[in-house]
Amino acid sequence: MISNLSVAILNGVVWGLIMALIALGLNMIFGLLHIINMAHGILYMLGAVVAWYLIEWTGNFWLSLVIAPIIVGGIGMAIERGLLRTIEDKPLITIICTFGIMMAAQHLVFMTFGGTPRRIPIPITYRFPLFNLEYPLMRIVIAAISVGVMIGLWFFLNRTKYGLWMRAVVQDREMAIGLGIPVNKVYMWTFVLGSGLAAFSGVLAAPIVYVDFMMGREILIMAFIIVIVGGMGNLEGSVIAAIIISLIQGIGSLFVPPAVATVFSLAFMVIVLLFRPQGLFGE
Amino acid sequence: MLVYEKKSMFFIPVFALVFLTMIALPFFVDLFYQTFLTEVLVWVLFAISFDLIFGYTGLLSFGQALFFGLGAYAFSISIVKFGIGPGTAFLLSLLIPMLFSWFVGFFSVKLTGIHFVIITLIFALMGSTIGETWTGLTGGADGMTIPLSTVSIGPLSLNLMDIKTVYYLVLVVVTLAYLFLRRMVQSPLGKIFISIRENEDRARLIGYNVQHYKLLAFIIAGGLSGLAGGLYGITLKYASANFLHWGISGHAVVYTIVGGMGTLLGPVLGTAIIMSLEHYLVNYMQGTDLVIGLVLVFMVLTAPKGLVGLFQRKGK
Repeated sequence: MISNLSVAILNGVVWGLIMALIALGLNMIFGLLHIINMAHGILYMLGAVVAWYLIEWTGNFWLSLVIAPIIVGGIGMAIERGLLRTIEDKPLITIICTFGIMMAAQHLVFMTFGGTPRRIPIPITYRFPLFNLEYPLMRIVIAAISVGVMIGLWFFLNRTKYGLWMRAVVQDREMAIGLGIPVNKVYMWTFVLGSGLAAFSGVLAAPIVYVDFMMGREILIMAFIIVIVGGMGNLEGSVIAAIIISLIQGIGSLFVPPAVATVFSLAFMVIVLLFRPQGLFGE
Repeated sequence: MLVYEKKSMFFIPVFALVFLTMIALPFFVDLFYQTFLTEVLVWVLFAISFDLIFGYTGLLSFGQALFFGLGAYAFSISIVKFGIGPGTAFLLSLLIPMLFSWFVGFFSVKLTGIHFVIITLIFALMGSTIGETWTGLTGGADGMTIPLSTVSIGPLSLNLMDIKTVYYLVLVVVTLAYLFLRRMVQSPLGKIFISIRENEDRARLIGYNVQHYKLLAFIIAGGLSGLAGGLYGITLKYASANFLHWGISGHAVVYTIVGGMGTLLGPVLGTAIIMSLEHYLVNYMQGTDLVIGLVLVFMVLTAPKGLVGLFQRKGK
């Protein structure tokens, strides 16, 4: 039992960190552009699918971890510049637009990538002993990389000019325009960064799950749950919420069927929305 | 705004013409297209019920699939598990979704904007998760077939295995629902819905209990979505947990946006056009989501008021 529990806890933390990266991207895009990006799960899925193609081609997982987010970030730039820019101030319309993007992109991947789930070769196969079980070292590396990215993001947002611009636009858009901050560019790069983060977590998830054109759908919902529980616009809240929810799901699935755990987490989210729409960790 | 107030002088003759054409159509097309037309009518009902809350009241609900699926299941489970007659079961496909939409709406209409979208989405997700898991009741993703036979309504005796009979039944129900909604949106109640959409704060200041009216719109829309689900069950003789999936709600969004939200004609045209497009495309590609998604994005960007909106602008 103790070994099962420790594996469940480790899995929960690793998965929570991956989820935190997805939710951070979703939350950044919401906080700044006020867009509920229904296509965010697609960007995550694209990260994994592009990585699969890159690994097929080059055989190098670490290379795809760098290149896939850049490619998907470029796709994000095209979406923001080409489609969302003109409707960014109409939240309901952007939901419908990104829903359309989701439909189209998912089907496009289905037509090119096919419907069969694929596995990527795992770059680190070593498993270290854990009580009387074994645990893959790869997952610990994945967790470490996620933490590294989050620290980097924190420095970017708090210590660089672009990061300060982004936070200024969130706090007071009119004032930011008045100060000469290129708000339009900040929007674009935020969307690119959010897309890149989603794709990055897609690549990180690829050694753990199957790569599949449908993989973005459930993830999108999980990311919503995390953003709401953590507080919309509250990035630290997202990280905490992601880890807590993944731990609850991971440990809970030792005792109840996963579907029951899902229904409970959804009901929990309804309660949070009703009583604390600013999120559990929001001010 | 004036568009909604104008009682068109063309309505009655055009409506009569379309209705008569719809009555005559099954005699000119084969069995396949009779089924296709029936399905189009079912989705028309789903789309116009969605338009009541989105187009008229301004509430974007991604949870309508829940009520559609509940309608289909209320109908099928009543017959399969409880041996209730099809007539009563059909009535239940209206009442049970209304009951559930009252429950969901009670919580949802307290929230506005994006929060409303998400809470309706969550309720739909709960519904589909339960539907997929509780296979003993719902048959899960495999679904359940509905044994249907002759049903008598007063002196009328309908053979539900005959697609033409089903077509006329669906045509009558959908037409009545359309006229009911048309009457409603032109009534003072409809004006209140529109005023909530245009400016919720102002509607509240005038003295309307905004939440009360939002809930009312939500319940009516939920009931009619359920009725559409019940009709779908009659048409296909089948119900599955896929009917509860929130992607189904997306159908209503696509039909309404493409046709034109905030008009009842819009969703009708949108449904007919998109379903015909899908029917045509299936011959050339596996699935049609790529094209439909692109059409949706294109319409949102270039003509957010839909095809009817384009027509109205030209008319002026």
